[in-house]
Amino acid sequence: MLAPIFRLRPMENLVEARKITKIYADGTVALRDVDFQVRPGEVMGLLGENGAGKTTLTKIISGLLSPTSGTIFWKGKAVRFSSPREALQAGIGMVHQHFALVGPFTGLENIALGAEGGGLLSPVKLKTIRTKVEEIMSRTGLHAPLDAPVEELPVGVQQRIEILKILFREVELLILDEPTAVLTPQEVDELFAVLRNIAAQGKSVIFITHKLREVLAVTDRITVLRRGEVVGVRETPRTSVEELAQLMVGQELGVLRQKEPRERGPEVLRVEELVVPGPAGEPAVRGISFTVHAGEIFGIAGIQGNGQTELVEALVGLRPWNGRVELNGRSLAGLGPAQIAALGLAHIPEDRHGMGLILDMNVTENSILGRISAFQGFLGRLRWASAQRFAQDLIARFSIQARGVRAPARSLSGGNQQKLVVGRELSKSPRILIANQPTRGLDIAATRFIRELLLRLRDEGMAILLVSADLDEIFELADRVAVMYRGTFTGVLPAEELDREKVGLLMGGLSLEEARG
Amino acid sequence: MRAFLETFAALVLGILIGAAIMALWGRDPWTSYAALFQGAWGNTRALMSTVSRSLPLVLTGLTFAVGVRAGLFNIGAQGQMLLGAVVALSTGLLSLPMGLHLLVALVLAGLAGIIWALPVALLKLFRGVSEVISTIMLNWVAHWLTLFLVVRKLSDPMRGERTFQVPTTMRFPVIQGELTWSLVASLGLALFFYWFLWHHAKGFEIRAAGLNPKAAKASGIPVSRAILLALLLGGLSAAWAGAIQVLGRFPYAITSDLANLGNLGFDGIAVALIGRNHPLGVLAGAFFFGTLATGAARMGLRGIPIDMIQIVQGVIVVSMAVPEAFRLIRLRRKREEK
Repeated sequence: MLAPIFRLRPMENLVEARKITKIYADGTVALRDVDFQVRPGEVMGLLGENGAGKTTLTKIISGLLSPTSGTIFWKGKAVRFSSPREALQAGIGMVHQHFALVGPFTGLENIALGAEGGGLLSPVKLKTIRTKVEEIMSRTGLHAPLDAPVEELPVGVQQRIEILKILFREVELLILDEPTAVLTPQEVDELFAVLRNIAAQGKSVIFITHKLREVLAVTDRITVLRRGEVVGVRETPRTSVEELAQLMVGQELGVLRQKEPRERGPEVLRVEELVVPGPAGEPAVRGISFTVHAGEIFGIAGIQGNGQTELVEALVGLRPWNGRVELNGRSLAGLGPAQIAALGLAHIPEDRHGMGLILDMNVTENSILGRISAFQGFLGRLRWASAQRFAQDLIARFSIQARGVRAPARSLSGGNQQKLVVGRELSKSPRILIANQPTRGLDIAATRFIRELLLRLRDEGMAILLVSADLDEIFELADRVAVMYRGTFTGVLPAEELDREKVGLLMGGLSLEEARG
Repeated sequence: MRAFLETFAALVLGILIGAAIMALWGRDPWTSYAALFQGAWGNTRALMSTVSRSLPLVLTGLTFAVGVRAGLFNIGAQGQMLLGAVVALSTGLLSLPMGLHLLVALVLAGLAGIIWALPVALLKLFRGVSEVISTIMLNWVAHWLTLFLVVRKLSDPMRGERTFQVPTTMRFPVIQGELTWSLVASLGLALFFYWFLWHHAKGFEIRAAGLNPKAAKASGIPVSRAILLALLLGGLSAAWAGAIQVLGRFPYAITSDLANLGNLGFDGIAVALIGRNHPLGVLAGAFFFGTLATGAARMGLRGIPIDMIQIVQGVIVVSMAVPEAFRLIRLRRKREEK
């Protein structure tokens, strides 16, 4: 058989980044000689830990940032987009972690915003836009209500509108930055189906994530970034969780400490009919009751923004509340953070920059936050020498990487900042530890460190209340799990009864009976 | 170190711009600046005068600085300073023995400053009123109240241009020339503020509350109490500025136009900014301010018009205050984002 001599070479790459380096103004090298390709019609996973450079790379591709050196090729031609608008016109659209939607506008209006034809003399024709959007919805399976103000819609639906907005511009490359962070497992599955549909129609998708399970579920190929460099490109069917994890972290990880069943001890925290007012006067927590016992991890799962923040802030004394809360039989009514902490409650806040640490203070100063009285001498003088010894001790015990006890907390990496918070809180030898999103944004090694620590504390008999939007974390650690939805618990399950699907349904607001049925 | 270099660079820049302005209007910058520094530092007498002029500025500078450390923008020093001056002066109506009289005057003036700062704190903590607004308003109340007392109640019947002079039992003894032992009050309070903020638990709480109120609160620090303390300490310090100006400097009285109290309170803001809101930096900032003030007189003698001297002073001060002012604005914006 004769091979055709002149065969049109199919376009190899839709987009290609060649030798991209990005150095930020403060000297941080975000990307170093990165080569990255996406073919037409594929879902490319961009995997890496926080700070690996995933978002920077895609921001360069979508015209939001310009590279320090290197070139972007779009359909084989070198391009240099000076704004996201130019990239969008060329056919590249990105959905960011923080949406760009106008709250009081409807879905349709948001999609129409900035669409072509919106001149003074050629008004936007909402009707034609609607037809086109509906056509896109049926083609991709991405459905969303178009006539409700977007601020009234759940985050998962807002995300769909954001994606529709991009698809409406007829992009050929869709970039999604950590899109699953705000979704229930069911919504994640639906999103994945949509992404497959989009790829099947010949368009390409870049899917940014740090979650191994997800990247394996939806992509064709995976590019792994570590510290601003590409450490591997893999065909999805020919790789594994283990291999990807190793690429991402750069070292082999031991097996995670296994949770062993354990008799739970006496009750430490009792919460009854707790109601916490939210920001707009509406209650953010609507009458929930639970107990936490010594030697157990009580997990609260749920999508962020369903009242978890308010619940925790109420328990630690930062927010007024109604109902009954008892710690070791003592009522917490009317007590402030210092008094509650004195009763044996330690708190790892969800926002370690805003609430856990004072970034402009040094390690020593941060390590004595909340226990200043222990370092007071004559007439309230602070005994800095002993505070520094204490900080030194924390650094050693929790293997915190810091330049020293006088290094500003800002100079520590995220994982080490969190270790500092955790170490400080545990040094108060609490009866109960409230850990709110304790590993959010941490690298794998630090995440593992914290999780193992929590398990060890549980085995040593501490009561732990773990609030986490990360289901893997809940599954790994919790003995009992409550799922929080719009200020209430949709269900409380023992660990044996847990499965992803059930928890997912509860997270979406179904009751336990419905979820079991 | 970096802060020091920045300030130094700003100083050089300010001096250069000032020089350019003078050159532009046909004055020789070189001789003008020579006059300025000679006038301020040229001999012991000049140096004493310079130090003496900087002492009250140290205190009003501290007021603003300790406020910033607590996350406040406290511009109430002017009013508290005026009140401190008038209360210190009024203590002269009592007759007490040497030394004790001075002490009583300082205590009463300090109390007046604290009382004047109290409504600012209460309005902020219980009604959420910005300290910027309340201090501006209270500054005016203090201004007219002081003017009323000075003109109507405390004036010297023989000398219309000023109040009665404070009795000698209440004056700070002279060290040399214009310099009196009010030096101890200023220096002592600056050192105390430094020690308090960096080596005392309550001072630590003030700094924590100022840098990140949310984290401070979560860790159990009573943020409201820290803010209250910072405002009251500021009131004390500003009132002492007024007091030492009356008790430690000629004419040992308040002039009927309040001119010898001038803008000590507001100048304290610039002093604090130049000194990076650090009590020891404030000492340097005040000395620098005193230098410009004393040196200006000598520049005037060289025939430089007073307007131009003030322009040059202004340019230098502004350029030196700019780096810290920007840092504060950034800090505030960051806090509001949270």
